[in-house]
Amino acid sequence: MALKEKYNDRIQLHLSKYPDSRSAVMPLLYIAQEEYGYVNDQGVDEVAEILDLDPTQVRSIAGFYTMYSEKPKGKYWLQVCTDLACALNGADEFHKALKDYLGVEEGGTTEDGLFTVEHVMCLAACDKAPMLQCNFHFMEDLDMDKMKAWVEEKRAEYQAELDAK
Amino acid sequence: MAIPVKDDTKLVTVKIDDKEYQVPAGANLVDLAKWYADNDIPVFCYHPKLEPVGMCRMCLVELGSIMRDRETGDVVLDDNGEPTVRWFPKLQTACTQTASDGMVVRTNTEAVDETRENVLEFLLTSHPLDCPICDKGGECPLQNLTMEHGPQESRMIYSDKMHLQKHVPLGDLIFLDRERCIQCARCVRFQDELVGDAVLGFHERGRRLQIITSSDPGFDTYFSGNTTDICPVGALTTADFRFGARPWEMTEIPSISPWDAAGENISLSMRLDRDFGGRAMIKRVMPRQNEYVNELWISDKTRFGHHFTRSLDRLVEPMVSFGDKLTDQSWNDAYKAAVTALEGASGDVAAIAGGAISNEDLWELRQLVEGLGGSRLGAWPPTHGGADLVAEVGVGQDTNLKELGAGDAILVVASDLEEEVPIWRLRLKRAQDRGAYLVVANARPTRMEEFALDTQRNDKPVEGAAVRYAPGEAAAAISDLKSSNKDVYDRLADATNLVVVAGADGLDLDGNKALMQACANLLIETDHVGKANNGLMSPIPGPNGMGLHYLGYTPEVTQDIVANPPKVLIVAQAEPAEDDPTATEWLSKVDTVITLSLFPDRTTSYASIVLPIQSFAERDGTFVNGERRVQRFYTAQGPLGEAVPAWKILTTIREKLGQGRAKLSAAAVMLEITKNVDVFAEMRYKNLSQVTRQFPEIGGDDLYYGGTAYQNRGGLGIQIPSAADSGKVKAGKVASVKATKASKGELIALPITELYNRSNAFMPSGLVHARVAVPYVTLSSSDADDLGLVDGDLVEVSFEGGAVRVRATVGDVPAGVALLPQHLTDEPTPIVPTVVTLSKIAQPVLA
Repeated sequence: MALKEKYNDRIQLHLSKYPDSRSAVMPLLYIAQEEYGYVNDQGVDEVAEILDLDPTQVRSIAGFYTMYSEKPKGKYWLQVCTDLACALNGADEFHKALKDYLGVEEGGTTEDGLFTVEHVMCLAACDKAPMLQCNFHFMEDLDMDKMKAWVEEKRAEYQAELDAK
Repeated sequence: MAIPVKDDTKLVTVKIDDKEYQVPAGANLVDLAKWYADNDIPVFCYHPKLEPVGMCRMCLVELGSIMRDRETGDVVLDDNGEPTVRWFPKLQTACTQTASDGMVVRTNTEAVDETRENVLEFLLTSHPLDCPICDKGGECPLQNLTMEHGPQESRMIYSDKMHLQKHVPLGDLIFLDRERCIQCARCVRFQDELVGDAVLGFHERGRRLQIITSSDPGFDTYFSGNTTDICPVGALTTADFRFGARPWEMTEIPSISPWDAAGENISLSMRLDRDFGGRAMIKRVMPRQNEYVNELWISDKTRFGHHFTRSLDRLVEPMVSFGDKLTDQSWNDAYKAAVTALEGASGDVAAIAGGAISNEDLWELRQLVEGLGGSRLGAWPPTHGGADLVAEVGVGQDTNLKELGAGDAILVVASDLEEEVPIWRLRLKRAQDRGAYLVVANARPTRMEEFALDTQRNDKPVEGAAVRYAPGEAAAAISDLKSSNKDVYDRLADATNLVVVAGADGLDLDGNKALMQACANLLIETDHVGKANNGLMSPIPGPNGMGLHYLGYTPEVTQDIVANPPKVLIVAQAEPAEDDPTATEWLSKVDTVITLSLFPDRTTSYASIVLPIQSFAERDGTFVNGERRVQRFYTAQGPLGEAVPAWKILTTIREKLGQGRAKLSAAAVMLEITKNVDVFAEMRYKNLSQVTRQFPEIGGDDLYYGGTAYQNRGGLGIQIPSAADSGKVKAGKVASVKATKASKGELIALPITELYNRSNAFMPSGLVHARVAVPYVTLSSSDADDLGLVDGDLVEVSFEGGAVRVRATVGDVPAGVALLPQHLTDEPTPIVPTVVTLSKIAQPVLA
């Protein structure tokens, strides 16, 4: 189903916030990313059509801001902050350990398609380092034990879903 | 002529490198330094035709202002009695500064020099060193500025260079080299600001910033080639010219676009070429600056449509038929045959000339016909009347569409300007951007109508209105505007300046003539005639539609010739049987058809004498554009076979008929015209080739400023005054128009224009083939339902004189009519609204 039908209420809400509809391009791109897992061509075309913009203009916005992903990501997109304050609290080691545990390179996705790990600049939660952002929700005061438990929990959930099918 | 500013702009004093200049307040600093001080401030992202953005930092200068005492307003003097200058603590981008009183600028200091070197070093950190194989090499702003200001050696580590894609097709016509791009955004801004198609954009940021297109189709506008001119590096190149030649090998010959009424000034880049038997060949077509006509831009059709001049399909030998079929003959025998035929006609000789033939040809043709006792001179195609009204109330002397703006109004009626005269569409859309009120009236949607309905563009409000009239009712719509649409009428009437463009889209000759009269009346009533930037224009097909009028060729006579065929008919650079399905019927009634043709075609197959003529590229001549500007083109390409300029063929025939000695040059023909046709009195070649200084001043050593559009060395041309310029004109009566009627089950096909089509002259440009539309017919959804048609069905459209098979598309058109584009099918389609029937042949093919 197209974004316009599926998320009509949210789209209308965003459109009502701005005097000029094109200003709503960023919130609408988030909706597209949420729906398709990343900003794909279909999402760009749909947003462009809703806002009466050229797809190129929408793609430019998606390309400029790093919080839009233009490549497919895992179900859980883990963005580990490695900026100074976090780094002093061991974020680099945490980041490396997480990648090793999941067996992925920087920016890579696990084979089961569940987890993508990448590092990002400051997320403004320095007092809770090390921390990461999972699908734009903060997970704070982390260590590898907590992280392993969380990963296994998600894996189990996913396995249960598969079994149910 | 100076930097264009409003009359009431005050002059201010600006000091540049210790010299004082009086300049208009508000003028851009880069522009005025160049114009007044001959000081070329280097730029990459700034372009005089685009809004300044200050992105590239190349134009940094030291900037200050003379200090004044806050209380007294007196200039503060230093110990030596000199005015004190308050300098900005850091360098400022000149391109984002405008002149104000007391401004002080320094461009020759150490700080500026060092900055220029640093900016260049920064731009070159990852720039490839492929100048020897780069198309821009030799006329590259980056190359030139690096030689002038750049660091001598690179401090960068070679292996750390970024490597990016080097051959990215942005569309069918333009290739992008991502390594060469320096992210000036000139191409992006050209598309956004000037064209209004935002199909180019930036992606990512910082060092990874790159140009992309996500549109479908990609970079597909009628102006895409211009981005390669303003690109300050070799990042954008045309598929037509890339790797074709080096700039220094080519000779630039001034010429005029052979396609439409705009009369774009072009420069043909010629090289003696192996591919053309060692003769001078057109390697590329570049814009030539004429601020009155095309500024620095040309349409893609003009740029990429030059291949017909050396097409292998061209006629290269005279042909004569002695009974059954045409055979190649020598010129002597062909002349003999022509003379015999003309002498045997006992005065019953007529001529039909097309809109792409030069004034010199038209004059000799007229002399020939009149010398034999004939008088009928017809213009082809017989669809656009009202050239007489353009002569009467056409745009006033010194009109320049780029001066239209706030307070002015533009009315476009019955014309799809994007497809008919793209440069007018570009310039008029720009006028709307500057605040002009744009009204588009038509029976169907057009691109121009979309602009008229826009309320905002690039964050600035724009104004306009669209008027839809019933098919064929154009004249009534304009005549009744006051009562039917008072708001729109008032805006037009009250405008400071009003330009009206009236065409023949969806109209027959009578409908078009009535419309032209209605438009002329509107202009006269509201006092918008006889002054600059006011008056009437018409997209008459071909580059010399107005020349036809001034030299006595009219569409009415063509209709008369069609109704009463003469004994001998000379068809000069016109292809009636290619255009019009009914032409074969009347052509076959003429005893002897003599054609002057570029290509063998359906018309020549009705001829008994076929004479090969030269194209615009191989000869000298003049055209009169839609703004009545007489412009000169020069001999560029080497001759093809035995082809000869039309005027020369005609003057030779005249000599053989005893009509006096043959003339030896196009200039001699023009001299005779100046003595015999009043409006041409001033149009001697010498006068036509005069050039005055133009703003912006481009084409010097500082290619970075204006791009690779060429300086005008061939002449700005001279505008023929309109009758209104030199005296009073009166409104005329608008004739009532008989509408074409269809019975049940029939539709009325309205012929429309597609810029890219399958005409003989355009087909040789193979590069553009992919962009020529699949033949189609557009009808309303109600008619489609009635006929049981769906989008994509293959249908046969039948009309008097033939039938074509095309794809049906359902679109926003009034019920009862169908849009049938001309020149998309191999067979001719109607040139005026015609009753047609549609029948389904096949279902759409599913992918």
